[in-house]
Amino acid sequence: MLSYALKRTGVAVLLALCVSFGSYMLVFLAGDPAILLAGETGTAADAERIRQIYGFDDPIVFQYANWLGRVLQGDLGRSLYFNQPVTTILLGRIPVTLGLGTAAILFALALAIPLGIAAARWRNTIVDRGALLIAVVGQAMPSFWFSLILVIWFSVKYPLFPTSGSETWRHFVLPTIVLGYFAAPAIMRLTRSGMATVLDSDYIRTARAMGISARKIMFKHALRNAILPVVSLSAAQFGYLLAGSVVVESVFAIHGAGRLAWESVLRSDLPTVQALVLAFSLMYILLTLAADLVNAWLDPRLRS
Amino acid sequence: MSSSEPLLDVRDLHVDIPLMTGVLHAVRGISFSVGRGETLCLVGESGCGKSLTALAVMGLLPRRARRRAAQLRFAGQDMLQLDTRGLEKLRGDRMAMIFQEPMTSLNPAFTIGDQLAEVLRQHRPVSRREARDRAVFLLEKVGITAAASRLGQYPHQLSGGLRQRVMIAMALMCGPELILADEPTTALDVTVQAQLLHLLVDLQREFGMAMIFITHDLGVVSRIADKVAVMYAGKVVEAGGCQRIFRDPLHPYTRGLMRCIPVPGRTKPGEKLAAIPGIVPALVGEMTGCAFRYRCPMAHDACADDPVPVRGAAGEADHRYRCVLTPERLREEAVWEGAA
Repeated sequence: MLSYALKRTGVAVLLALCVSFGSYMLVFLAGDPAILLAGETGTAADAERIRQIYGFDDPIVFQYANWLGRVLQGDLGRSLYFNQPVTTILLGRIPVTLGLGTAAILFALALAIPLGIAAARWRNTIVDRGALLIAVVGQAMPSFWFSLILVIWFSVKYPLFPTSGSETWRHFVLPTIVLGYFAAPAIMRLTRSGMATVLDSDYIRTARAMGISARKIMFKHALRNAILPVVSLSAAQFGYLLAGSVVVESVFAIHGAGRLAWESVLRSDLPTVQALVLAFSLMYILLTLAADLVNAWLDPRLRS
Repeated sequence: MSSSEPLLDVRDLHVDIPLMTGVLHAVRGISFSVGRGETLCLVGESGCGKSLTALAVMGLLPRRARRRAAQLRFAGQDMLQLDTRGLEKLRGDRMAMIFQEPMTSLNPAFTIGDQLAEVLRQHRPVSRREARDRAVFLLEKVGITAAASRLGQYPHQLSGGLRQRVMIAMALMCGPELILADEPTTALDVTVQAQLLHLLVDLQREFGMAMIFITHDLGVVSRIADKVAVMYAGKVVEAGGCQRIFRDPLHPYTRGLMRCIPVPGRTKPGEKLAAIPGIVPALVGEMTGCAFRYRCPMAHDACADDPVPVRGAAGEADHRYRCVLTPERLREEAVWEGAA
């Protein structure tokens, strides 16, 4: 187990390095950053001076190494828009997104896994069809529309929750439901199909032949095997919720990282975009790593 | 419970599977009984319903299949009246089953020790330690060396033969009165097959268990059976004591099967092996008359009539077969000569 964990972690670190190089190169995708910084009124001489000051005339690899060294010390550069260190801005935003994403994925799992198990247990019955309906609706409904419906019902008609903002936990309830319901269908369907396959397997028949109780077969013998792909998918969904919550953050006026990313793109605030891409990618890599380690712990065959 | 009552008594057992095209009558009214310590072999080719019969007795049929029977009694209990909990109490404790596929019959996510101990702890109020000791004892019994160190291993770390030994040990955890073995050696190497067969028979004697052994291999039957029931297309076509059946097979199907066994010394090298021509008929929908008549060299018009009489061989009360022809007629013809 330990050697597997070390190997997987090593791969994750290499991957993180590749991703960081990619996100560094983003600066150059948007055109010559020196001309961009000089602005519309800048002259060619201004651009040349900026090039020298910022080191844009150095070899790319050299620039990247310098940048990576600074990033590792927590220096992500200065935001062109806020004129503040990007690190400071991110530290204010990422916890909000992380909190919302965590709440949403927990909500999604709490909804999807029991529903998926029930659908597999009572396959092709009204329970299965009902679960399928819930999944299809969740998958098909646009987030912004569902957000507005919830606001109309639970903020305006029955003022249970605030319409927007991110000050208290009550501000997070509706966004959590929207994001979680968006992530739930895929998890639910995968849980259902996994459980359905496993429940038909020979070793479940063995467990039944040995008189193991139905509850234990369901939640110990079957779930342990059916949950493996669900763990991987949930990690991917979690990453997606973190990076893709722009719409929901906009509707509910939550100042999270998703919204910041969107605004920074509009403002051509490259250092911020770059830092966000890096941060989201690293979270994704960490989540995938965590999923792999959990799966290896669950399934002995993956360890060897 | 009277001492003369058999351990397991099955009367008129049916298994139906509804399909898109109609109802598949996989098991069509079979009856048999097994006494304490006795071995009954269910013999027949693939698709004759022998596995479904065992699963029906255990209450382990696939969810679509429907079971009905006039009687299903085990150790004085009416199994037809049992609810799920009652069945769970019986299974693994007093009756256990060993399956054909050792590679997939153990849960890949748990250690051998966990899976063995769980069975005992499900049925008996024993400590972890006691369950572990019983597991080690039985693993040694089924011929696994260094048993204690195997407890921490996972199924994928064991060979097929070892996994089947573990399955046998698991079935024995609670000391059942009846073992159902569904072709337990078919998926294994020939050398391992023979070892496991000996092991199973030895254990059966040692623990005084009754056994229902399902196989298509008549060589195996002759070595282990007390009683034999030959199945064809969901029905028992001939049943009786093992020696009787092998010495004086009557039903054309049984005699055809016997002829298919290659005998070392008698079957010449290069000689074409005997076979019963044709295939098992589809069992969807109603069927009248003898299902074997399409492949039977002695078939004639009367075979299509219902019901096919069940006859006894003269002087042998429990040797019975299902055919329109009398024992004398069946014996006098060398039915299968030149048939293949």
